[in-house]
Amino acid sequence: MATENPVVEIQNLSKHYGEFVALDNLSLTLDRGSILGFIGPNGAGKTTTIRILVGLSRPTSGSAMIGGADCVRDIAKVRRLVGYMPDKFGSYDNMRVREYLDFFGAAFGISRKVRQKRIAEVLELTNAVWMQDRYVESLSHGMQQRVGIARTLLHEPEVLILDEPANGLDPEARIEMREILLRLAGEGRTLIVTSHILPELSRICDQVAIVAGGKLRAMGSLDDVTRTLSQRRTIEIQLLSAEGIDAVGEHVRTALGADSDITVSAAETTIRCRTAADDQQLGGLLRTLVTDGVAVGQFREVAGDLEEAFVSAAREAEAERMGTATQEVSQ
Amino acid sequence: MIHGITVILGRELLAMLRSARVLAILMGVAVAAALLVLLKWPSTSITDLDGARGRDVFRWITWAMFTAAILVVPVFPSTLLVREVRRRTLELLLNSPLSRSSIYFGKVLAMLGFVVLLLASTLPAMASGYLMGGLSITEDIIRMYLMMMLICVHLIVIGLLVGTWTRSTESALRWSYGVTFALMVLPWFPDALFPGGDSPLARGMQMLKLISPIPAVLQMLNQNSLSGTGLMETRDAVMTYLNFSAVFLTVGSFVCIRRLSHSLLDQSRSQGYITDDQDGWVQASRRILYLVDPQKRSKGIPPLINPVMVKEFQCRQFGRMHWLLRLVAGCAVLSLLLTLASARGTESRGVEYTGALIIVLQVSLIVLLTPGLAAGMIAGEIEGGSWNLLRATPMGPGRILFGKLTSVLITLALLLCATLPGYAVIMFIKPILKPQVEQVLFCLLASAILSMLISAVTSSFCRATAIATTAAYGILITVFGGTLLVWVNRDAPFGRDLVENVLRLNPMAAALNAIQAEGFTDYNLLPSAWWIAGVSSLLLMVVLFAQTLRLTRPD
Repeated sequence: MATENPVVEIQNLSKHYGEFVALDNLSLTLDRGSILGFIGPNGAGKTTTIRILVGLSRPTSGSAMIGGADCVRDIAKVRRLVGYMPDKFGSYDNMRVREYLDFFGAAFGISRKVRQKRIAEVLELTNAVWMQDRYVESLSHGMQQRVGIARTLLHEPEVLILDEPANGLDPEARIEMREILLRLAGEGRTLIVTSHILPELSRICDQVAIVAGGKLRAMGSLDDVTRTLSQRRTIEIQLLSAEGIDAVGEHVRTALGADSDITVSAAETTIRCRTAADDQQLGGLLRTLVTDGVAVGQFREVAGDLEEAFVSAAREAEAERMGTATQEVSQ
Repeated sequence: MIHGITVILGRELLAMLRSARVLAILMGVAVAAALLVLLKWPSTSITDLDGARGRDVFRWITWAMFTAAILVVPVFPSTLLVREVRRRTLELLLNSPLSRSSIYFGKVLAMLGFVVLLLASTLPAMASGYLMGGLSITEDIIRMYLMMMLICVHLIVIGLLVGTWTRSTESALRWSYGVTFALMVLPWFPDALFPGGDSPLARGMQMLKLISPIPAVLQMLNQNSLSGTGLMETRDAVMTYLNFSAVFLTVGSFVCIRRLSHSLLDQSRSQGYITDDQDGWVQASRRILYLVDPQKRSKGIPPLINPVMVKEFQCRQFGRMHWLLRLVAGCAVLSLLLTLASARGTESRGVEYTGALIIVLQVSLIVLLTPGLAAGMIAGEIEGGSWNLLRATPMGPGRILFGKLTSVLITLALLLCATLPGYAVIMFIKPILKPQVEQVLFCLLASAILSMLISAVTSSFCRATAIATTAAYGILITVFGGTLLVWVNRDAPFGRDLVENVLRLNPMAAALNAIQAEGFTDYNLLPSAWWIAGVSSLLLMVVLFAQTLRLTRPD
C-alpha cells in the first residue's frame, strides 16, 4: 500500500496488553490531503491505533510516523502536526466556548494576537460563531462536536484525527459535520475519521481501512474494499414485463443454487440475487434466460456497500478468534 | 406511600450494603471503638468502685461515634441525589407511580439503616465499657445512641438538601462537609471570640452555640466544663438542640420534597449573556456597577501567564475575578472581626487563648477548603475526559502541575492574609510575642502547603473526584485532628515523648505550641515540626511530579 506522497506511515504496528493483542502487525500509508475512513467493530483496534498516532500510547513493536516525525520519539513534533478529537468531548465547567478555545490555543503556545484571529477563523469554519459566548457544558452534543473540531484546528495541524465525530448526532447535525469535514479536506488537510455510521463515511472518504481483531482486513478505495471483502455479489435482473416473473425466479434459483438469496419483485419487474456464483456461472445463467425467450431488459451487478464489507471483516475476525480458542481448548 | 417507601428503602439499602467501601467503613469504626476500649482497659487489678473508668470509656466511644458520623454520614446522602440526576435514574423514579414523599422518606430510611449499622458496630466496645460499671443502660447508653441517631438524621437531611442544589458529586461533598462544619463548629466561635457579658448580643451568641449538637452531647456526658460558661449552666442544651432539630428536620424535609421534582433534571444553563453585545446604556451602567464585569468578553490569556492556572480559576465555581474580589472583601471583613476579637479576647482571656482560637479557625478553614480546590485537579480531568486533551498539547507535566498548584496556593494565600491584622493586634498588645507570631505564620503556611500537596497527591492516584475529595478529607482530618486525639490522651495511656513526637507531624499543633496555648506549653515542637512538614511536602511534591509524569507519558 505504498503511496507517492505519504503523510501517515504505519509499519507493522502491534500493541499487546498482557496476553491480549489489541493491534497485530498493522501497516498502512496515507497520502496528503486524503480522507481515510477507519472502521471496524468495537474492540477492533481503531482507538488503539489512533492513540499511538497522537502519542498517547506506545506500541509494543512497529513504527508510526506522521509528517516524517516518529510517534514515539518525536512526540512534541507530532503533537503540533496532529489535531486530535477523542470520542469523549472533555469539557470544563463554567467555561465559555471562546475561553475554552483560548485556553487550548495558549496551551499550544500561540500568541494572544494570533490566537484571537485563529479562534475567529475556526469558529467561522465550523459554523460555531454564534455559540462563542455559550458555556461549553450547556451545549448539545452536536454543538460540542463542532467546538471539538474547532479546537483541533487551532494550531493549524497537518493531520486531523477524529474519533467518532458523527456519533450521537441527529441527521441534520450529521450533514453539517460531513460538510465541515469535506471543507477541511478541501483545504488540503489529511483526515483520519473513525465512525460506526458507515453510509456517512462512504460519502466523504476517498480511502477506507477496515480493521477487525487488531488486523487490517482491507484498505483502498471504497469499491476496492467492498470487492475484496464481499463474499457474495448482488445481481439484478430486470425483465421487460412482469408476466411469468415467478417462474423465471424459480429458474434463477435452480441455476444459482439453494444458498443464493433470490428476491422477486413483480412491481419493479426485477429479480435480485445475492450469490457467490462466479462470472462463468452468471454468464451461463444469462445465456439460458435469453435462449428460453425471457425478455431480459438488464442483467447487471450492483456495487456492494461498505456495511456488507464491514460485516464480512467482523465475521472473518470472529471466525479467527473462535478458531484460536478451539485450538487452545483442544491443546 | 408505605409501599413506595419500602421499594426505595430496599433498593438503596441493598445497593449500599453491597458496596465493599461500606463494609470497610463499618469494620474501621468497629476496630477504632475496640482500640479505644483496649487503651482504657484497666492495667492493674484494683477494682474501680465509682465507675469512673467505665464513664471514661463511654465518653471516648461517644466521641468516636460522633467523629465517625460527621466524617462518614454526609458522604452518602449528598452524592446519592447527584448521582441519580446524572445517571437519569431520578427521571425514571419521578415518572413512576411513586410519590415524591415516598422517594424522599425511602432514601432517608435507607440512610438511617446504614446509620444503625454504623452505630451498631460500636456496640461490642460499648458493652465492654458497660461491664466496667458506672453506666446505666437506659439513662446513658440508649439515650446516647438515640442522640447519635438524631444527629445522623440531621446530617442526612443536610446531605439530601445539598444534593438537590449541586450538580457534581465533588461539589456535593464539598458543600455537605462545609455545612456540617458550619453546623458543628462555627456556632462556637462568636461566643469564644467575644466572651462574657449579659447583654442581648452576648446571650444571642451563647444561644447560637446550642444549635450545634456538641453542647448537647457534652451535657449528656457531664462534660459541661469543656463547653465554657453561661448558658450551659442554666439551660438544657439537649432540649434546645432537640427543638432546633425538630424545626430543622421538618422544614428541611419539606424543602427537599418540594425540590425533588423534574426541575432537578431540567436545569437550564446561562445562554451566554455578554455585555459586549448589549446596548450602549447597558454597557455603561454595568461599567459603573461592576468593578470586574463577569459578563464581559474575555480578552484572552495574557502572555507569560500559565494557561492552566487561568483555566483552573475559570473552571472553579468561585474562581472568576469578580468572585476573587468578593473573597478578598469577605476576608477583609473576617480580618476586621478577628482584629476586634483579638483586642477584646486579649483583654479578658489572654493573648495565648485568642491566638489559639485564630489558629484553630484558620486551619479548620484550610482543611475545609483545600480538598475542594485541589482534590479534583487531576482526578477531575481524568474523570471528565479532558486529561487526554491536555496530554495531547505540547505542555509538559511541570507546566501543567505548576499552573494547577499556583491556582490553589493563590486562593489559600488570600485566605491566610485575611487573618494577619488579628496577629498584628496580638503583637501590638504584647510586642514580646512578635517572634512567636512569626513562627505561627510559618506554621500556617506549612499547613496550607501540606494540605494542598496531600490533596493533590490523592487526586493523582484517583480516577474519580468524589473518591479523591473524600480520601483527601480523611487524610487531612487524620493529620490535623487525629494527632490531637493522642494529645488529648497525653496523661494516659500515652507518654509525653510519644505525644510530642506525634504532635510534630501536625503543623497546627506546632503553631499552638509557638503561641504557648494551654496544653501545648510542655512540648518542644519547633523547629522539628517545620522540618517534618518541609520534608513531607518535598516528598509529596516528588510523588506528585512522578505521578503527573507517569500520567502524561504514553501508556
